[in-house]
Amino acid sequence: MNRDEVLANAIDAMVNCDEKRALEIAEKAIAAGFDPVDILSEGFSVGIRKVGDLFGRGELFLPQLIQSAEIMKKVTGVFESVMTKEAAEKKGKMVIATVEGDVHDIGKGIVISLLRTQGIEVIDLGRDVKTEKIIEAALEVDADIIGTSALLSTTLAGQKKLEDELRKRGLRDRFKTMVGGAPCTQRWADKIGADAYGEDAADAVEKALALLGKG
Amino acid sequence: MEKVFTRMGDASGVWLSKEEVRAELEEGTNDAADRGKIPPLTEEELDRLFDICTRREKFVSVEPGNEVVVTFDAGTLKMVRVGVPVDRSQAILIHERALGSDTMELAHIDYSYKQIKPIAHDEKYYMEQAQLGTVIPLFYGAMPNVGLYTQPDGPVPNWSELLPMGKITEAQAAQEEAVEHAERDMVYVGSKMYEGGADGINFDTTGASGDADFLAALRAIRALKEKYPELPIELGMAGEFVLGMHGELYFDGVRLAGLYPHDQVKLAEKAGATIFGAVVNTNSSKSFPWNIARAVTFVKACTEAANIPVHVNVGMGVGAVPVFDTPPQDVVSRASKALVEIGKADGL
Repeated sequence: MNRDEVLANAIDAMVNCDEKRALEIAEKAIAAGFDPVDILSEGFSVGIRKVGDLFGRGELFLPQLIQSAEIMKKVTGVFESVMTKEAAEKKGKMVIATVEGDVHDIGKGIVISLLRTQGIEVIDLGRDVKTEKIIEAALEVDADIIGTSALLSTTLAGQKKLEDELRKRGLRDRFKTMVGGAPCTQRWADKIGADAYGEDAADAVEKALALLGKG
Repeated sequence: MEKVFTRMGDASGVWLSKEEVRAELEEGTNDAADRGKIPPLTEEELDRLFDICTRREKFVSVEPGNEVVVTFDAGTLKMVRVGVPVDRSQAILIHERALGSDTMELAHIDYSYKQIKPIAHDEKYYMEQAQLGTVIPLFYGAMPNVGLYTQPDGPVPNWSELLPMGKITEAQAAQEEAVEHAERDMVYVGSKMYEGGADGINFDTTGASGDADFLAALRAIRALKEKYPELPIELGMAGEFVLGMHGELYFDGVRLAGLYPHDQVKLAEKAGATIFGAVVNTNSSKSFPWNIARAVTFVKACTEAANIPVHVNVGMGVGAVPVFDTPPQDVVSRASKALVEIGKADGL
């Protein structure tokens, strides 16, 4: 198999949630001397982002999304054994929460699953989380990004509160911030001063990687 | 170049050229066609939609003869939500006598069948009293909300916790168990309210907890219709496609996950529903022309497939109405006209 065939097969195995085949492709790619980082990022990672996109269109379902994330973990494990220390390191750390007053977290959970498959360490604070707690957690783990989710138009203001509080405490430049959720838009992100807006899970991953300079 | 005032999906105002409006309409209908695997709007329909979107009037309406009836979800509670402190029976009277509603729904603030079950006997009296003072058909409505059957508030393990741990089989089993509980409660409350005088039952925001939610509602409708063949039941959806939280649930041999409105309505018919409440989500980052072209495309496919009346959800965040607490009349009226006159909706 040449590089293009390996990548195409890796994407296909992820989209079809075929664990056996995915692991075989990973082993063969290593044996053939392909660059593990290249195969992971241009093959398997592309595949799982495609899974996220198909989920958003109602063509794949949550169990398959979770299954793909599990396969991705195993594939990453196979590659990490032969990767250099630098290449195997996490790409960054992200604290994520649903804002205070909002208990919706289905979408956030999906975003987290995909972020983790891309080598981002995610600390999930759960739902209905106070702004103060989010900031404290971000400081404690020395996060690179703070991500907040809101489903309700009435709780969206929690994302602005975070921006305001970070500025008030002189911490705004210490973290990158990302926002998401149904009533959230790029205009809202611009208005409150967030660094990025994730329209859906796949987009959130792209934006997070870009914020970390790994996109 | 002449610019047209319209809005984005978050209700913010925007001025677009007529060429941009047309391009947005085409992109919107093509997106629906691609996702739903349905035909896009024809050139003639796009021309009509372009006219509706670009009219200078602030408020538009249907042409005489195209009027439709309206049904509600949680309507009784919305007076209080906008700061008018009236009780439920007064809200119903305001809708009938001041707002000219065709029907109304009695609802409780705990808007889920599980929560209503222990107070169903009290709700029956509210229904009886409300019926004594009104002429319009009065539904009783609530949501299936199968998520409420999960621990710690309910009896079954929480699949939202099991799935991230990779426990897919266990998560699916929990959802299947929740379907049994939800169906039983919906049939119980539906029976009580019908016997208490309700003119119909509304299963609202169905599918909010995924395919298990939809299955519970379909099974409850089938059971209620077997018990009361004359009982009118409205089935309103939560989103444009059924979210596959389980992924392998079937009703009459059809997999529920991923179904779009034109397929959902066929199952609603099979179950015995009288009215189907189609939903098309509004994308808050896209323009009104994009959203309405998309919504009309889905609704047109749904009404063409349907043998029962389709009442399209036209409220905050659905049916091209912006995600904004007080949706502006300019786009709400345009959405209503387009969905009725091009989408052929039977009601809103």
